[in-house]
Amino acid sequence: MSHLFGHDQPLSAQGGGVKPPSFVGSFDPRVRVVAACLFAVMVVSLQQIEFALGAFVIAIATMLLTDLPLRLTLKRMAAMDGFIIVMLVMLPFTTPGTPMFSMLGADASKEGLLHAVLIGIRANAVVLMMLSLLSGLTPVTLGHTLYRLRCPAALVHLMMFTVRYISVLHDEYHRLRMAMKLRGFKARNTFHTYRSFGYLFGMLLVRSLERAERVLEAMKCRGFSGHFPMIDQLVFRRRDAILGATFFVMIAALILMDRIYVLAY
Amino acid sequence: MHIVDGALAPEVLIGGGVLAVAGLGLGLRKLPIDKIPATGVLSATFFVASLIHVPVGPSSVHLIMSGLAGLVLGWTAFPALFVGLLLQAIFFGFGGLTVLGVNTVNIAFPAVIAGFMFRGVVARSNPTAAAVWGGIAGALSISLTTLFVAISLTLSGDAFIPAAKLVFFAHIPIMAVEGFVSAAAVYLIMKVKPALLMTGDQANEYAVQSSIILAEQANEANNG
Amino acid sequence: MSLLIELNDISYGYRAGHSVLDRVSLSLSANERLFITGPNGAGKSTLLRILVGLIKPLGGEISAFGQKRVSDADFHDLRCRVGFIVQDPDDQLFCPTVVEDIAFGPLNLGASREEALAIVDDVLDQLHLKHLRERITHELSGGEKRLVSVAAVLAMKPDVLLLDEPTNALDEENLQRLEEILLELPQAMILVSHDPHFRRKLATRTLELRAGKMSEAKQLPAKKCTASERARQQAESV
Repeated sequence: MSHLFGHDQPLSAQGGGVKPPSFVGSFDPRVRVVAACLFAVMVVSLQQIEFALGAFVIAIATMLLTDLPLRLTLKRMAAMDGFIIVMLVMLPFTTPGTPMFSMLGADASKEGLLHAVLIGIRANAVVLMMLSLLSGLTPVTLGHTLYRLRCPAALVHLMMFTVRYISVLHDEYHRLRMAMKLRGFKARNTFHTYRSFGYLFGMLLVRSLERAERVLEAMKCRGFSGHFPMIDQLVFRRRDAILGATFFVMIAALILMDRIYVLAY
Repeated sequence: MHIVDGALAPEVLIGGGVLAVAGLGLGLRKLPIDKIPATGVLSATFFVASLIHVPVGPSSVHLIMSGLAGLVLGWTAFPALFVGLLLQAIFFGFGGLTVLGVNTVNIAFPAVIAGFMFRGVVARSNPTAAAVWGGIAGALSISLTTLFVAISLTLSGDAFIPAAKLVFFAHIPIMAVEGFVSAAAVYLIMKVKPALLMTGDQANEYAVQSSIILAEQANEANNG
Repeated sequence: MSLLIELNDISYGYRAGHSVLDRVSLSLSANERLFITGPNGAGKSTLLRILVGLIKPLGGEISAFGQKRVSDADFHDLRCRVGFIVQDPDDQLFCPTVVEDIAFGPLNLGASREEALAIVDDVLDQLHLKHLRERITHELSGGEKRLVSVAAVLAMKPDVLLLDEPTNALDEENLQRLEEILLELPQAMILVSHDPHFRRKLATRTLELRAGKMSEAKQLPAKKCTASERARQQAESV
């Protein structure tokens, strides 16, 4: 498929391939998708730092049961943290409450700090769980899974086409970009740079559309009449049900404790 | 520009999710099955845009090109951009699952709005004027996205208001860059393949015209 | 004769234990038209890409114009003086019109808009391509695209030219135009090409890259040519 997606690229959509799948990778992708969504929804509703930490621990445990390269996963989490760090740092100073310390004339409140920490933990827990459960899937398996989970067929087909052509177009972009480099192009803060990138992207769009026309023609030549076949080998076994149930119980327990805690104090 | 899981209030997440589903439904209704390959390829192109980094001051940003997506795809920009965000969320960990709805609304609605506002005037203009309108569409789309992000944060709590303001002002140079790049891209498309920016009827008309022009060129070539 | 470009002991491999280039050396002097031949996948294009610093070799050194080339800045400077004409002209032509695409290189070299346009007109004049000036690059024929891509590189006034399979998908007429253009150019050049006829017309020296090693190619056998080759030669002699 593409060097952009996934780390372990199985040969078939199911993930058989050369090496045996990891523990997490051996479960039905449908259970993994549903579990990841459920986890995300529940974790963002946790109000207590302790229980959010609990969720984070579950996510770490799940990650350890995958065969994802640790460094890449951590790098992706760090990238995500980079997005929110400014907001988290600002929160203590903008939330009213008990002042803790002051910096540059602004008071940091305890409530704000706790809120920032809570957001940080929740965000990391969700992303880590999502990467652990889902990023080992191939995009094709993801498509099959969403299709079997009753996502609209048009959307799934759209996603499959997108995935199919991202690597093709990314390669084309690279060839064009290399040829620009060969003619002494250096990206700077100049109008010439922005115009060149605009031309580059515009040309990519024009060529993509023409490619799409050829793709459709080739499909019609092979008898395409508005139906895309979906062939997968997804099987739901007993262990998948057990995993789903365990996951649900764990998360429900966290939520329940969280709510009781909030009500009790 | 992405918001991550865990920051927004549940009401905002649910509201975003509902709006995203509505937008997806509308977009998919405008997507007949034989348009899926073309839309998928264009969706992939806009995904690749997010891998292209352009310099802004001492740093660099990746392109979004949502205004252009709106101009080219109209309502179908909604599902096309959603697919890109879904893939980014799952495989790169950008954004998240619960905020997928909010993020889609924040990026795809401005694209659709910019598309509807400027599609007609871009298609009717000569390449230079079209470039100006395309640039405005590109900049507007990003400004609206930033505004929507700021609103999502503000709705989630007063404590986020300063962060929301910061997000908006920090993105002003990016709006300008997106505007310039979109303008150049629109200029190229209007020169090379204006059909890409035209709606059904106009495109047919153009196809007839261009075949006449090509025939004329061929004649000239033979004479010369 | 001064050496323009010198590669010493360049090694490269995509996978460990499998080397595409095994201590390859090469030098180019002024006025030379050096051909590199060899089977598909022998690493000819890779060698050219290493020469201009697009990929880093595993070992060996590169000098050009009397200076060692190591850092990115060195190679940026080198790329501004060495014109590389890539295999597929579609990879190179990305601007809407011919005039803009040819102006792209000079603009990168710091020319003003007016200077760049003047250079464009000179180059188009030199190659007798004036009629293509306002054409849309995307709509050119394959042969026209190739000639424009050559013009675009010549507009940068390079000291050395690198051409990767320049005769690919060229029809008879445009092939002849290309040959004439290249024969008239004063620059030294390195050409990667399979076309023996093309080589015989232009080459001042030929090297063969095979199994990662570079060697002086044997003199081309005079008689052993393909049927289409012979037909073409007959057509010319008539």
